[in-house]
Amino acid sequence: MSTDFFEQQDVARRRTGWLVFFFLLAVAATVLAVYLVVAILVAAAQAEGQAGAEIESLWNPPLFLGVTLGVVSIILLGSLYRIAQFSTGGEAVALLLGGRRIDPQSRDLAERRLLNVVEEMAIASGVPVPPVYVLDAETSINAFAAGHQPGDAVIGVSRGCLEYLTRDELQGVMAHEFSHILNGDMRLDLRLAGTVFGILMLAVLGYYMLRIAGRMPQSNRKQGGGVALGLFLLGLALVLIGYIGVFFGKLIKAAVSRQREYLADSAAVQFTRFPGGIAGALKKIGGLPERSRIRDAHAEEVSHMFFSDAFEGMLLNFFATHPPLVKRIRRLDPTFDGRFPVVVPLREMGLAEADTGRVAAADQEAAQIREFLATPLDQRRRRARRLSPAQAISEAGTPKAAQLFYASSLMAAMPKALAEAAHEPYLARALICALLLSRDLAVRQTQLDALAKQAEPRLYQDIVRLAALTDQLGEEARVPLVDATYPVLRMLSPRQYAAFRQHVETLVEADDRIDLFEYMIRVMLLRNLDVHFGRTRPPIRRYSAITPLVGPLGTVLSTLAYAGHETQEDAERAFSQATAALGRGVPLLPKQDCTLTALDKALAELAQAAPKLQRIILAACVASIAADGKVAVRENELLRVVAGILGSPVPPIPLSELGATTATN
Amino acid sequence: MEIAIGIAVIVVVLLVLVLFIVGIYNTLITSRNRYKNAFSQIDVQLKRRNDLIPNLVETAKGYMKHERQTLEAVVQARNVNAAALQQAAQAPGERQAMAALGSAEAQLAGALGRLFAVFEAYPDLKANQNMLALQEELTSTENKIAFARQAYNDAVMQYNNQRETFPNVVVASMFGFQEANLFEIEEPKEREAPQVKF
Repeated sequence: MSTDFFEQQDVARRRTGWLVFFFLLAVAATVLAVYLVVAILVAAAQAEGQAGAEIESLWNPPLFLGVTLGVVSIILLGSLYRIAQFSTGGEAVALLLGGRRIDPQSRDLAERRLLNVVEEMAIASGVPVPPVYVLDAETSINAFAAGHQPGDAVIGVSRGCLEYLTRDELQGVMAHEFSHILNGDMRLDLRLAGTVFGILMLAVLGYYMLRIAGRMPQSNRKQGGGVALGLFLLGLALVLIGYIGVFFGKLIKAAVSRQREYLADSAAVQFTRFPGGIAGALKKIGGLPERSRIRDAHAEEVSHMFFSDAFEGMLLNFFATHPPLVKRIRRLDPTFDGRFPVVVPLREMGLAEADTGRVAAADQEAAQIREFLATPLDQRRRRARRLSPAQAISEAGTPKAAQLFYASSLMAAMPKALAEAAHEPYLARALICALLLSRDLAVRQTQLDALAKQAEPRLYQDIVRLAALTDQLGEEARVPLVDATYPVLRMLSPRQYAAFRQHVETLVEADDRIDLFEYMIRVMLLRNLDVHFGRTRPPIRRYSAITPLVGPLGTVLSTLAYAGHETQEDAERAFSQATAALGRGVPLLPKQDCTLTALDKALAELAQAAPKLQRIILAACVASIAADGKVAVRENELLRVVAGILGSPVPPIPLSELGATTATN
Repeated sequence: MEIAIGIAVIVVVLLVLVLFIVGIYNTLITSRNRYKNAFSQIDVQLKRRNDLIPNLVETAKGYMKHERQTLEAVVQARNVNAAALQQAAQAPGERQAMAALGSAEAQLAGALGRLFAVFEAYPDLKANQNMLALQEELTSTENKIAFARQAYNDAVMQYNNQRETFPNVVVASMFGFQEANLFEIEEPKEREAPQVKF
């Protein structure tokens, strides 16, 4: 009984409900605790004035109201502040922990290896390649993924990962993190970190008060001394109460995020088809003296985001954020005897052993992939594969080992000039522009003329030069190349991005006959980058019912139907098949109403649909584009781009299907 | 009773103040990291360019047997540049380091310019395949350097602007945020009169 990608996302969303519930519980408990302390203090102060008087009832409504307002506003302020800080995306978490961004052109072997592993995984999952940060100060083995959605995700690793883990083990850890990226866990984690901060803050505040009280003069015992003492006691109380907050914080995290670690582990195995990788990493964590401990002061706030426990052996570990290490290993490797290996830095073992990566795919699949990639373009028959909506859904968000092998083979086969351009900010701009040039020569000329007026001559020359190479690429290579450029495009300054964006828009608007595929690439690319550069916010999933989305759905499905079929009749048939499953009347738009701007708006609306709706939408898109249940490479890639925009990334072609040579020429 | 309310008010005010200061601090840290990261892009490209030069000089030496001075000037300038780069990488944005790097760049640009001017007299060298490839790579790397410089300077300006507005400037001086310096290439001083060859 495997839950699919959409169900996972729904589960993640539901957990948000638990988060809110426990958080409110924690706030209530904290308010009561603070009130109790304050009331006792007040009663003691009053009793002091009247020697021998009885202590009155502790219940004092105005005081209670005051305390409640004070505590709640403090907690709310703190949480809102942190949530706002994290609203810019995963980068905020990486910087909070002192992360250093790994340069995409780094020549350090260990860093290069990690970048390659992350790039392969992202391409295999159908998501933009996330930037990678390293926590230089952390010598343990640990990693995290942070962000709201795949488009603004970042990956972080500790220094220990680079020093101790082999390529397979790195891949296992990264596969685990990618499962969090794909399942919607990341967004929940970010909310959790922001929310819990409010409760943790009380302890910090109490600590500051202790310090201030310690510095106040104690000469006037009657007047000044009383205040200092009161401040000191209140500070102490806040610290103790604050640890209630820490306790509840851990409880919340355990309730919300612990169980899914097993799921992420098994998803990693599915992805890499090699349990030894992730198991090996876990074993090394066990064998290292500091295990996976993170020393940074902010570790507590984000402890649930890490691959393994950021704290070890503390009393409050009853609410550990992760399952016990031995249990995790045993699930992956039943033969594990409980003894951890001695961990040695890779440097001392010789790099040859460290760099061997396993071929994940089964032999037959690997052979088919190689054969497909090696066939020259003009000799490839227009291979098509059978694609049913049900199949597309099962593939969304759940990449397999074959895709991983495909991704690494694809990047290895990429012409060197293109691969280099994709990893460097200056040329990456030219590469994207080259990919947006139409195959139709007349349209291309219009595009180039429009661009020549705008772009600097050197950039223009680079675009033309790279276009000569990209023209030789198969359809399947374009989207992965775009995915690979994300990390460097995010490194542009805002001014440079604005200029680049203008070039992209010029290319797309140069001629109304721009191909749908090129247009969709532009939508996907700019939408993700716009979020990073602060021009738009990430989409909020607010639609739970299909009714408000009928209009946008009609636009998208009509456009896809026309894109996938030659004749009007075929398009109509596909469209009605697609909408039949929706159970309501959706009109087919006339061809001239399917404009690109209308499509853009419609997709923006659909991207805000809840995961369970996404499943229906994606199925309808597949039915609309597939002619008689078959898609060619180009249509498959178009579908992947649409799915990416909707937030349900679909991995590249399952190539076992392509082996069936049904030529549709 | 009054004391309790008084303390509560103090606490809340204190908290708001602390959060405000921490917010500004975080903003400055982020901006600073951004320009430091941007500098590492320059670092990568400058290193690449500097690595090309020994090969360039070797190839040219075979043809230009009487231009020792010009060639040596290039090698010298390249070494100065590499040293300045290393210094700047330790302290990106620091005034001395950036100024030293800027003048090193100018010096190297000048030396290379004179070298390429002399090339005109050596048609065999100009046609040499290896030399053509190297020149192409050099040009392309220079483009990337210019681009990286632009990104760095943009990031520095953003940081400086944020640092100088009120009330950020108060927090900045509290925590010792220094002004960052742009990467500017100064005009080289005239070191020698150009040689005329008949």
